[in-house]
Amino acid sequence: MAADLDSSAQLTTAVDSTYAVDFHGRGGSLFGIQIVNLFLGLITLGIYSFWGRVKVRAYLASLTEFAGYRFAYHGTGKELFIGWLKALVLFGIPLFVLALLQVIVGIESGLFNIFQVLIYLVVGVFIPVAMVNARRYRLSRISWRGVRFSFRGGVREFMAIYVKGWLLTVLTLGFYYPFWQNRRQSFMIGDSYFGNQKFAFDGRGGDLFWSFVLHVALTIPTFFLCWLWYAARVQRYYAEHTSFQAARLRSTVTGGGMLGLMIGNAVLFVLTLGLGWSWITVRNLRYYASHLTMVGALDVAGVMQEVQSATATGEGLSGFLDLDFDLG
Amino acid sequence: MQLQWFGYYLDGQSANRRSAKIYLEAGHLRIDLDDGALLNWPYGTIRQTQGAYAGEQVRLEYGAEPAQVLLIEDLSFLTSFHQVLPNRAGGFHNPAKRLQRFQLTIVAGCASVALLLGTYFWGIPTFAMLAAPWVPVSWEEKLGDSMIEQVAPAELRCSDPQRLAKIEELVKAMLATQGETEYRFKIHVVNQPIFNALAAPGGHIVIFRGLLDRTENAEELAGVLAHELQHILKRHVTRSLLEYASTSFLVAAVIGDVSGIVSFGVEAAQMLAQMRFSRQHESEADEAGLQMLLASQIDPAGMIAFFEAVRKEEGQGSSALSFIASHPQTEVRIARLKSLIAASPSGSQKLLPDYSWEDIKKICPAVEKPAKSLKIR
Repeated sequence: MAADLDSSAQLTTAVDSTYAVDFHGRGGSLFGIQIVNLFLGLITLGIYSFWGRVKVRAYLASLTEFAGYRFAYHGTGKELFIGWLKALVLFGIPLFVLALLQVIVGIESGLFNIFQVLIYLVVGVFIPVAMVNARRYRLSRISWRGVRFSFRGGVREFMAIYVKGWLLTVLTLGFYYPFWQNRRQSFMIGDSYFGNQKFAFDGRGGDLFWSFVLHVALTIPTFFLCWLWYAARVQRYYAEHTSFQAARLRSTVTGGGMLGLMIGNAVLFVLTLGLGWSWITVRNLRYYASHLTMVGALDVAGVMQEVQSATATGEGLSGFLDLDFDLG
Repeated sequence: MQLQWFGYYLDGQSANRRSAKIYLEAGHLRIDLDDGALLNWPYGTIRQTQGAYAGEQVRLEYGAEPAQVLLIEDLSFLTSFHQVLPNRAGGFHNPAKRLQRFQLTIVAGCASVALLLGTYFWGIPTFAMLAAPWVPVSWEEKLGDSMIEQVAPAELRCSDPQRLAKIEELVKAMLATQGETEYRFKIHVVNQPIFNALAAPGGHIVIFRGLLDRTENAEELAGVLAHELQHILKRHVTRSLLEYASTSFLVAAVIGDVSGIVSFGVEAAQMLAQMRFSRQHESEADEAGLQMLLASQIDPAGMIAFFEAVRKEEGQGSSALSFIASHPQTEVRIARLKSLIAASPSGSQKLLPDYSWEDIKKICPAVEKPAKSLKIR
């Protein structure tokens, strides 16, 4: 079933070939890496955690396979550390100073609310900046078959999408949300590259609108559980509308599958008092990888390297407010 | 001994892959590509980036980024490398040493557990104790003032000056034994039927009417005051804040990226730690408070009698939770205090000898407010 990219004299593969994503990681190996990271993190007062994170990412990337070839992670601890420092100076310190000023003037003062607005402003700028920069950094540090990925979308463009979408979502009492979400996905995928070739995204917010409305209506009767099914639906839809060359992603995740995964993870977490976290990570990646394929025709031999520069500032920024997200 | 391996070569310029035959030669790795081209990579310049963990392929990189890459499926390449060229293979993973790495990982795990426990049981409380004196009293006063606004709002305070002076007299008697202090102590009696008293940083002690009503003599109240005074003198609130901050720091160092259900676990752990530190502070205030009573020649039986009243109030059934409670079990506290009293000579100075203690209970306006208004807060 899985196609060999190199069998047909490195030319275009058959039109309906299926390329599998596989994850071969093991909880035990990951646990070992994380134990050593913990030890070194403790004796360096946390400084080592940047280097430790790189170890984990490199492991996860090298055990993830697409069409028979492994990914590789090229980030370094030094880059992450410098990115974090920049985020600290650009956003962390201003936020700290504003919060401190609030304490100094006290809640009764009129200045208190002005500082509060400034805090919202800094955070509001920070979130889109962090999201774009993190994506740019992470993609630029991942390669497949020796060729780097990259993201070339601009912060300003995303800021416009973000602010406009946020305002419209508030003004429409949330009903604009699926359009906004789609717009963000379109931006994040549409400006992503593998080497010199672009990914494409042709999803439309309207396609998910009624599904979104249905799930809003089902929220209370299902005690919020229906949103798992919506999340699965969105993942399948976004995959289906993501293409590279003449091939499309296909996801087969389901709400029930995700619920089973979550229940299993929760049981594992409780029974191991949290020590099973490495196995939970592996279970998640295995589930999502095994439900993701690419279908169509690929000619990767002709993809040329085009290295983009990117710093880890967004990366550090995103860690700062716990906005963790990965390759979508 | 195998000296030839099959692998794939990626040139770093395109995603095209080429089959390669790889040979371990004396000074370099020789790579014969399928199109007849021949590459020599000197060993010292090759970087191994994958192949150290089960399930990974061996990945070798060479040259400036974007690097050229060699992928070898067969781990025996590394084993042979270490056997044939032990001097050259230094920077490369040796599969024969995986057991050793496993053992080191176990050592690191045990060391981490020891470090965490040491930091938790000893490091954090010690750090907080040593750092607290550096926090200016004026800062504590500011914090205490704002806390008092919440707990003892002016309209609920009972400010009968003569009776307050009696309580202050007790405080003075005890403080006389404590030497110089930077704190200016303030007593607030709050007109609420709560059986409790508390200390706020910077020198505030709040006594609720419900507690005052339950005391039978000045010695009992002195026992409560001794405990609360020690909370202030030992800077327990400042220490709690320092302990909380350093626990957060420790947790961040341990976990790094926190997301999803882990954050619940982290919060639970943080809460348990906080309660443990709080129990330590309570025990410390009990013991130091008792020492203060003894030093002031005050009969410690009052303090014990008061705790007995607390125990009656609690009733039974809360003992199982003492492991996670914010206060130590009352019975344990009483037993501890009794053993301390037995070890030292007790004083017997009668407090406020010319004062009828029942009178103190009139400190709050006698008019009971209607039940409704009590529920406002």
